Parts: sequence; structure tokens; C-alpha cells
Amino acid sequence: MTTLGVGPADAASPVEPGERRRTTPARGTRTGSLPPLRGLLPLVVFLASWQLVASRLSPFFPPPSDWASALLDLSRSGVLLPAAFATVITFLLGLVAASVLGTVLGLAVGASARTDRALQPTLEYARAMPPAAVVPIATLLLGFTGTMKVVVVTSAAIWSILLNTRSGVRQLNPVMFEMARSLQLGRFERVRKVTFPALLPSIFLGVRVAAPVALVITLLVEILTQVDGVGALIAQSQRNYEFAQGYGLILVAGLFALLVNALVSMLQARVMRHRPPA
Amino acid sequence: MTSATAVLRRTNVLGVATMLLLLGAWELLIRVGLLDFQNLPAPSAVAARAQQLLASGELMTNLLHTLRVTLLGWVLASVIGIGLGLVLGLWRPAWRWSMASFELLRAVPPISLVPLALLVFGFSVRTELTLIVYASAWPVLVNTIEGVRTVRPELRDVARTLHLSRRETLLKLTLPAAMPSIVVGLQLGLSLALVLAVVAELVGNPSGLGNALILAQLALRPEEMFAYVFTIGLLGIALNAAFRQIVAWTLTSAKPLPGKVS
Repeated sequence: MTTLGVGPADAASPVEPGERRRTTPARGTRTGSLPPLRGLLPLVVFLASWQLVASRLSPFFPPPSDWASALLDLSRSGVLLPAAFATVITFLLGLVAASVLGTVLGLAVGASARTDRALQPTLEYARAMPPAAVVPIATLLLGFTGTMKVVVVTSAAIWSILLNTRSGVRQLNPVMFEMARSLQLGRFERVRKVTFPALLPSIFLGVRVAAPVALVITLLVEILTQVDGVGALIAQSQRNYEFAQGYGLILVAGLFALLVNALVSMLQARVMRHRPPA
Repeated sequence: MTSATAVLRRTNVLGVATMLLLLGAWELLIRVGLLDFQNLPAPSAVAARAQQLLASGELMTNLLHTLRVTLLGWVLASVIGIGLGLVLGLWRPAWRWSMASFELLRAVPPISLVPLALLVFGFSVRTELTLIVYASAWPVLVNTIEGVRTVRPELRDVARTLHLSRRETLLKLTLPAAMPSIVVGLQLGLSLALVLAVVAELVGNPSGLGNALILAQLALRPEEMFAYVFTIGLLGIALNAAFRQIVAWTLTSAKPLPGKVS
């Protein structure tokens, strides 16, 4: 464990469970980490029986077909698309800001043991803070704005990137820098041609953990503050007792999460392609 | 060496100094008026307010509520997660015929369920507890399955050689071997439990730290808001530290990790 790793372990551990899964194949799983599709059967049966008995149950649990029609109504009235767009934008801006800031801070604390020691308690404390608690403060200072949303998302998504960059810097091979020196590269050149490429896998490992976090926090801010986005729509359907709409929107949130996961895996395949396995 | 110097050696003086320096800068900027954010209180004002809240017992009541619900929800989630995880991890047909469903359900962010849970369960502790259990059971479940499934095959041979019963194999070999993975899940679950507790209190449940934070916001008392936010942060740190300490005690005494001499 890293010294900074007192907070939630998701962001801390540079080695992910998923990573381990790939390197040590479990007995009998030839298809890798994906479970067989027939495992979807219970869910299908569950939803189908929900559909069949729902109308007699209660207004709390409308049948899945109602979810779909509620979603269709939402998109016809031109509410769904802008909301989805707002959520995606907040997510992307937050993730990019977290990547840039996390890399810079990670470089700073990774390169100097003294900076690391000096900032450690402060960072540790900030990291342990549940993002939900930050939201009221952020609205207090920044108002109910898009900026506020991005700031909250960034503050939650930054940690895994920072920590992975930090441990990446620690593991850099000093020979690389000697080579850079003998090639008489300037400071900027050195960072661009030597440090950054060497760190890219570490940074990306952090981004991979940060992306789902960023999405969840985007939804969280939207639910709590009702400033634009899919989360705000979910909160509104609660206020208006629109159950079917609520369930439909939860599906949309789940769809976003699946998309983010798929994108991250795809990106990872590209980023890691050029590296031999460590 | 005296104990005072030992403590001093262990504490990160530089780090604490930086923290104090940042707080001092914050205080100074507000006093001078350079930092002119509307509603941003000075640290001294926050500390004073926290003192009052402590003295009146308000802070403690809210803190204890949040702590109790978080721990209760986490324990329930852990029992469910480990139990279900063992079934899915050890019994192949169960895994084959349901894991994809679990993976799909897991993709739905628990946060998005908060408003619906409010509608179904109302503004109550039940909402809070349900959300905590649902959200923090996932990492425990996934890590238990992972841990059990990646147990080294040699261990099964050991079990066969020693003529261990199924029960003994589970208790003496599989579970200990899966423990590191399960512990990671438990730790993730714990921090998620606190997050969900605070969220549920923010949006609905009429008690706890999150609720106090919202009340302070509605009453336009920034000092009180910061006091509660800092408390929540401290609670997060304390929970994590306690968890790690307990893990360190129980796991290292049971089986010393190979290759690590401490």
C-alpha cells in the first residue's frame, strides 16, 4: 500500500482487480473476464415477470413497458437529448480537468520526496472527503452553475490519476534520464520525449479508474443540485411522482455507465498496445 | 529514545506544517479581504462554530447517527456480499447462469437509485439503510467472487491430499486464500457506505451529518456547513484508519505474509 492510500481503495491501488484477472486466468474460464451470456436469463425472467404482474402490484413498480414509453415521451418533448448532452459534457470536462491536474500534481509529489511529505496529510484529508459533502460547499461558493458541476467532478476523479502518476514517477528508470542528459535534451524536450511517454500507462491506469467515478459523481451532482442533465431529470421525476420515468432514466444512467466502461477498455487496448507486458 | 521523540519521528511534521500554513493563508486572505468569495467563512469562524456545535451535543448526535447507519449497512452488505460471492464463486452453474445479470445490474450507478428509493421508502432511515446495503454489497460481492475463483489450483490438491471435508476446505483453505481480495472489497464497501449515507441524508433522511449540512445550507450558515463538511471528512478518515488497523491486527496474527518482515 502507498503511504497516501488511506482513503478509498478504488483510487489507491495502482493494480486493479480487473488487471489481475487478466494475468492469472481463473480455472476453467477460457473466455477471459466476460461471463457467459446465458447468465442474463435470470434478469430477463425477472423483468418479464415484473411486466406480467406489475399492473396489479402498486404504482411504485410500473411495468418495464411503461418505462420505455415514458422515456419515449421524454425524448419527444425534447428534454432527454439536451439532458444527456449536459451530462456527457460535464463528465468529459471533469475527466479531462482531473487528468491534467492529476498528472501535474502526481508529477510534483512523485518527483520530490519533500513535496510528497509536505502535501501528504492535506491530500489525504481531501481524498477521504465524500464527494457528496463537497456539493453543498461548491454550490455555496460557485452557485448552481455548470462550473460548479465540473469542479465537483474534477475534485472526485482526480485522486486515482494523481496516485497512479505518483507511483509511476517513482518507478521510472533513472537510466532514461541519464540518456536524456547525454542527448542534451532541454527540460521541455525531456518531459515531452522521455518522462511523459514513460508515464502514459500509469496515467492511463488512473484515468481508467477515474472515468466511472466521474460519471457517478456527475449524476450525483445533478441529482443533488438539479442543475441540468440526466441526474436532474431523475430527481425531477421523483418530485413529480413519475415512477415510470424514473425507472427509464435509471436505465439511461446504466447505459452511460456501460458505454464509459466500453470506451475505457477500447482506449486502454490502444494505449497499451505499444508496451511489452511489464 | 524518549517516547516524545518517537512520536515526533512518526508524525509528518512537514505535512502538518503545510496543512496549518494553508489554513493560515486562508484565514489571512479573508481577514485582509483578498479572497472575496461570497459566503466563504474564515477557518477561525468555522472552528468557533464547531466548538458550539460540540458543546450543544448537536454534532455528536448527528455524527453518531451517521456512524451507526454506515456501520450497520456495511455489515449487512458485507454478509450479503460474501455469502452470495461464495455461492457464485464456488458453484460454477450459479455463476454461469446468473453472473451476466449481476454484471449488468452492477453497471447501474447506485446513486441514480437514490430518488426512487426516496419515493418508495419515504424520508426515513430505511431509505438510507437500503441504499447503503445495495451500494456497498457490490464491491464485496465482486471481490469475493474474484478472490475465490483465483485461488491457486494447487490448494485444491492440498485439500485432497489432507482429506479435508468441503467445510474444512472452505474454512481453512479457500476463505483464507481469498481473504486479501475480500478485504479490498470490504474497504471499498465501507467508504461507499459512508458516501451513500451522506447522500441519503442530504436528499431525504431527516437526521445525520448530511441532513445537518443541508439544514445549515438552508439557514445560510456557511460556518456551520464547513464545520459539518470537515466532520464528514474526519469520519471518512477515521473509518478507514480503523478498518486498516483491525485488518492489520486480525490478518497478520492469523497468518504472517511471506516475504514481509516487519
